[in-house]
Amino acid sequence: MFGRAVRFLVSRPASLLGLIIVCVFYGWSLVEGLLQFAGILLGDRALGWVLLPYDPFKTNFSKALLPPSPRHLMGTDDLGRDIFSRVLYAAPVDAAISVIVVLGGLFVGNLVGLPAGYFGRGVDEVNMRLTDLFLAFPALILALVIEATLGRQVVYAIIALIVVWWPSYARLSRAEALKVKPRKYVDAALLSGLSDFQIIRKHFIRASLNTLVSYATIDLGNVVLVYSILSFLGLGAQPPAPEWGTMVASGLEYFPQWWWYSIFPGLVITVVVVGSALLGDGLRDLLAGER
Amino acid sequence: MGFVSYAIRRAVSSVIIIIGAVVLTFILTHVVAPHPASIWAGPHASKAVVEAITYEYHLNQPVLVQLYYYLIDTFSFNFGVSPFFKQPVSSLIATYFPRTIELVVVAMILTVLIGVYTGAFAAAHQERAGDYSVRALYLISWSMPPYLVALLLQFALAYHLKLLPPSQLANPALSVPKRVTGFPTLDALIDGDYAFFYSSLRHLVLPAFTLAFISFGIVTRIMRSSMLEAMSAEYVRTAIMKGVGRRRAIYVHAFKNSLIPVVTVIALTFSYLIAGSVVVEEVFSYEGMGYLITQALFNYDYPTLVGSTIVITLSVILINFASDLVYGAIDPRVRVGE
Repeated sequence: MFGRAVRFLVSRPASLLGLIIVCVFYGWSLVEGLLQFAGILLGDRALGWVLLPYDPFKTNFSKALLPPSPRHLMGTDDLGRDIFSRVLYAAPVDAAISVIVVLGGLFVGNLVGLPAGYFGRGVDEVNMRLTDLFLAFPALILALVIEATLGRQVVYAIIALIVVWWPSYARLSRAEALKVKPRKYVDAALLSGLSDFQIIRKHFIRASLNTLVSYATIDLGNVVLVYSILSFLGLGAQPPAPEWGTMVASGLEYFPQWWWYSIFPGLVITVVVVGSALLGDGLRDLLAGER
Repeated sequence: MGFVSYAIRRAVSSVIIIIGAVVLTFILTHVVAPHPASIWAGPHASKAVVEAITYEYHLNQPVLVQLYYYLIDTFSFNFGVSPFFKQPVSSLIATYFPRTIELVVVAMILTVLIGVYTGAFAAAHQERAGDYSVRALYLISWSMPPYLVALLLQFALAYHLKLLPPSQLANPALSVPKRVTGFPTLDALIDGDYAFFYSSLRHLVLPAFTLAFISFGIVTRIMRSSMLEAMSAEYVRTAIMKGVGRRRAIYVHAFKNSLIPVVTVIALTFSYLIAGSVVVEEVFSYEGMGYLITQALFNYDYPTLVGSTIVITLSVILINFASDLVYGAIDPRVRVGE
């Protein structure tokens, strides 16, 4: 099954591109994240930048705002720090946030959506009205208010993103539950004495995740995008920690003369989002072909 | 179901959603918030100010009493006084909101025009180069962070080619026309101030086009699939067989019926555009709601943030209601599908 999926994705240029981008992004983030983590454990943070061309925190005013060149692929910022190194250093945070938010959204969404589809009637009514309520807010603006209320920290950004993300999964998983419900094996499971909870756990979650996996893949990139907007607005990790959205925002002061400061981090985000969208589309076609 | 009873049901459910949304903001700002008084007052407020705020917002009262005052205040559009702007939040919103509406309406028209055209074009060239390029274009456009699109357009059209002004509502050298509606271009027209009208239109182009660029893909996708469905319908094949010609059959016969589903996504794009305007207005220093929200964020101005959120959410709910009505009016099948 897994080998066939990979062969399908590799056979289509667009999906292959998506697969490569996603693998590079998460692969790099894993390696770099482990190094940073080990650096903190061992008390030597320099371990976090052994693989990077430059120390992402070292300021050097004589090299401030240098344009992109072979020595500094994306140029340097106002404090003379290498932008390429800072972009690479920031990747693990974005990767981790995207995975946590998507998993959290899937969890809450299924928790609300599956019972709604399975039980119908009152449960459906209550759960889906609640979902509609959250969907009534423009997602970004709700996330801003949540974070401004709870506090400007990465943890709260994650909570805010999960709060705005689960409603769409709740709708999708409810629709899946409605598709599975009339199947014979659900009746058979009921007759064999399984409880509602066991049936949902055994049959519904799998069916829902099968469909949701392509949406979740596309959303990995979307979370990176929306999180970068939060950090662009000053709600992400606080400086001097490098952060893609924050880098764009601090480059605004130097735009347009020193355009590379803002543009390159923004382009990296775009590449990640495109990659996950291409891979997600490929997965959707793959699953659609299986049915 | 008749149209009137359909409309009444939609209206009732919209009112329920509005009350629910306001209660949700109450729970967030009064119950979930760790220290409501210090959030409302701002991080640098003195003890006396925090106490005054506690009294003013009834934060020392039982939760249900707080909710009562909150509902009364919200539905009378009394959102308190902004600690940063030193003005009532409602009058700030009255100044800034029309500007954003003007921006969003222009952006929406652009979004729908670009989306409908590219969607129809892609469908007519299904699985050929035209289709693939349209799909690649919207994939990239909605994958780009709004601030990046804004910066690139600003760089190319304003700073490099010098075709358009890079920022602000209008040329600051011009005197602002007297306020009638709050919409800058309309006010200029009413005042007969054509210089200001022209200037504010030119300042609208970049932000509006940025917003349209990041959101037209929503319309393209729905237009493409509904066009494809219409093109395989029998009436289109009949038209071709009768000798209407393939182009005419596609761009006239199939096109008209494909527009119906587009109405449903217009409301969706409104919500999307107004959220995007937060970032876009910040980049272009276009002083509308988005700018107000970012200023409120940067300056820990909580009443302004919450007030703006409520007003924006109410407008989104109302637009959804209106689009339901329009959709129900043009396609009676929707009314049954409740």
